[in-house]
Amino acid sequence: MAKSSGENGPRAPAAGGSLSGTRESLAQGPDATTTDELSSLGSDSEVNGFAERRIDKFGFIVGSQGAEGALEEVPLEVLRQRESKWLDMLNNWDKWMAKKHKKIRLRCQKGIPPSLRGRAWQYLSGGKVKLQQNPGKFEELDLSPGDPKWLDVIERDLHRQFPFHEMFVSRGGHGQQDLFRVLKAYTLYRPEEGYCQAQAPIAAVLLMHMPAEQAFWCLVQICEKYLPGYYSEKLEAIQLDGEILFSLLQKVSPVAHKHLSRQKIDPLLYMTEWFMCAFARTLPWSSVLRVWDMFFCEGVKIIFRVGLVLLKHALGSPEKLKACQGQYETIEQLRSLSPKIMQEAFLVQEVVELPVTERQIEREHLIQLRRWQETRGELQCRSPPRLHGAKAILEAEPGPRPTLQPSPSIRLPPDVPFPSSKAKPPKQVQNEQRKRSKASGQPDKALAPSQDTVVTAAGDACPPQEVPPKDPISQHLTPQDSAPQNLVCRRSQESLTSQESEDTYL
Amino acid sequence: MGNGNEDDYNFVFKVVLIGESGVGKTNLLSRFTRNEFSHDSRTTIGVEFSTRTVMLGTAAVKAQIWDTAGLERYRAITSAYYRGAVGALLVFDLTKHQTYAVVERWLKELYDHAEATIVVMLVGNKSDLSQAREVPTEEARMFAENNGLLFLETSALDSTNVELAFETILKEIFAKVSKQRQNSTRTNAIALGSAQSGQEPVSGEKRACCISL
Repeated sequence: MAKSSGENGPRAPAAGGSLSGTRESLAQGPDATTTDELSSLGSDSEVNGFAERRIDKFGFIVGSQGAEGALEEVPLEVLRQRESKWLDMLNNWDKWMAKKHKKIRLRCQKGIPPSLRGRAWQYLSGGKVKLQQNPGKFEELDLSPGDPKWLDVIERDLHRQFPFHEMFVSRGGHGQQDLFRVLKAYTLYRPEEGYCQAQAPIAAVLLMHMPAEQAFWCLVQICEKYLPGYYSEKLEAIQLDGEILFSLLQKVSPVAHKHLSRQKIDPLLYMTEWFMCAFARTLPWSSVLRVWDMFFCEGVKIIFRVGLVLLKHALGSPEKLKACQGQYETIEQLRSLSPKIMQEAFLVQEVVELPVTERQIEREHLIQLRRWQETRGELQCRSPPRLHGAKAILEAEPGPRPTLQPSPSIRLPPDVPFPSSKAKPPKQVQNEQRKRSKASGQPDKALAPSQDTVVTAAGDACPPQEVPPKDPISQHLTPQDSAPQNLVCRRSQESLTSQESEDTYL
Repeated sequence: MGNGNEDDYNFVFKVVLIGESGVGKTNLLSRFTRNEFSHDSRTTIGVEFSTRTVMLGTAAVKAQIWDTAGLERYRAITSAYYRGAVGALLVFDLTKHQTYAVVERWLKELYDHAEATIVVMLVGNKSDLSQAREVPTEEARMFAENNGLLFLETSALDSTNVELAFETILKEIFAKVSKQRQNSTRTNAIALGSAQSGQEPVSGEKRACCISL
């Protein structure tokens, strides 16, 4: 394989004084040449010599920052079950959100199956709806020239996000290009907001799971609904959240709170990167994904809880504080957190169990806002109130909106038996048996809702009118309910090909 | 400038790196404290820092170098960053004139937040990219002189002058500190500026004085 100067680790300038590293520009016209001549050849990671290095399952080069050691794997059977449950939810999203939101929340806490994560995030965040409401918008933004002042800064950041992830390792490669497109589009979409550097890692994480257009709309949702004001001028929102976090810490870990107080450590000294990047730069990758799964469902309280858990376990006992005699040592301790407290299973458990609620956060927000007004005057950038998760976002959507069209991505021949697990709840088994027996009789007839009190896959009873089809195979056996849903179900039962190519973004 | 034992030092000097995004602050930090450089070091968000203990004469000085985001937007949250700093490296990219043109704004920002006695060095980074220079050495040197700043051109990439830059500023800080201690023993009062946070020495350890000027 051809070796170039840019291949292995830190790059020295190429012979002849070419400006490798510091001056690439993606915004120039077709005449501009990039100094990275290899950017368009082959797969990004191979070209840069990374085919010789092992990539972990998340795409990080083994041995680098993001990569982890042996991970706890979810048993395949469980994973398949979860996938089928999630497919069902995604295919009937509105119903699930309206009636069984708690179940969605629980499943997000358990972790979204990797194959469906990108899709689920779009549904949870409302990014999918946004895309449907704005057809052609991203393309319009994509084709527009951006404000040179923002483009300059964005370009400087493209190679500085997850450089050890195979998607972003290549200068001018597809990952960096998409990152540019998404970030540029945002500065055009919200010119008064412009670009804030922490948006780059956020966008990068999204791009690891979905294409640029979808990633853009999820970014919009994060910036406007989940974390409004985080990336705006003045960064007032993050400052307020720092105070809220510190205040909440008092109850969660009085020891940690006292120490940070005494050391006079401003929350901004440790929570800025945590919150602005939603822990994407702090935690091991499997933990990042679990946190984001919950964050998309439940909103910023997850971010607060993670922060509180980390603070509590890093500084919450006298032994731990022994190493933190000064301000510097304390902050250092918070930057080199023990892998144990960041480990996926431990962290998620702690977060789920921590009794910090939206109401507490909002109450504290008001207190801190008042304090701010007393000491610093009015906020210069008033952001809209934040929405605490998927349900709030959905409910805030104005007016009638298009029903989410399901677009399954798994193609199966209709007569293949769906892999069943012994662990199925008895009601579900009974239900499927009933369906199969009906199938032999009348495969195509829609059963009247009143004939069946079908239960959902999860075993929750539901009123006869509400009948979410359970899995793609038995869908044509499932009683249909209201007319629009009828059509939708039938369409999905006939052809399970992907309506949108991006849904197979596994 | 030799290296002292990391745990054995007489002084702690907090030095902050400031300047526009992308000028090389993070790499100056990593080059000085870990002898590392990366073209792809992550965008700094929040605060980063690193330390290195050096010998200045017979005194062991722990340099605590702080690094933060350079983007304009982050100016709003950096007052905590400046607290207790005795030195500042104001970095610009000598291949990007725009990053030099805003140096005065950075100075104002610095003096708004830090002690007036803070020692400042103007640093023109990326001297390895000689063909791309956009800021003449003399111009920057004159500006520094007129404003009471130290001045050096460095390259974090090939290490040129990085050691020298830190050594110079630390020596300057040390000289100021020594002078002040001389003065204070004479007047029998310690005037160390406003109370500084987080630098209290701990009894029983060798940490002697955490200094602010």
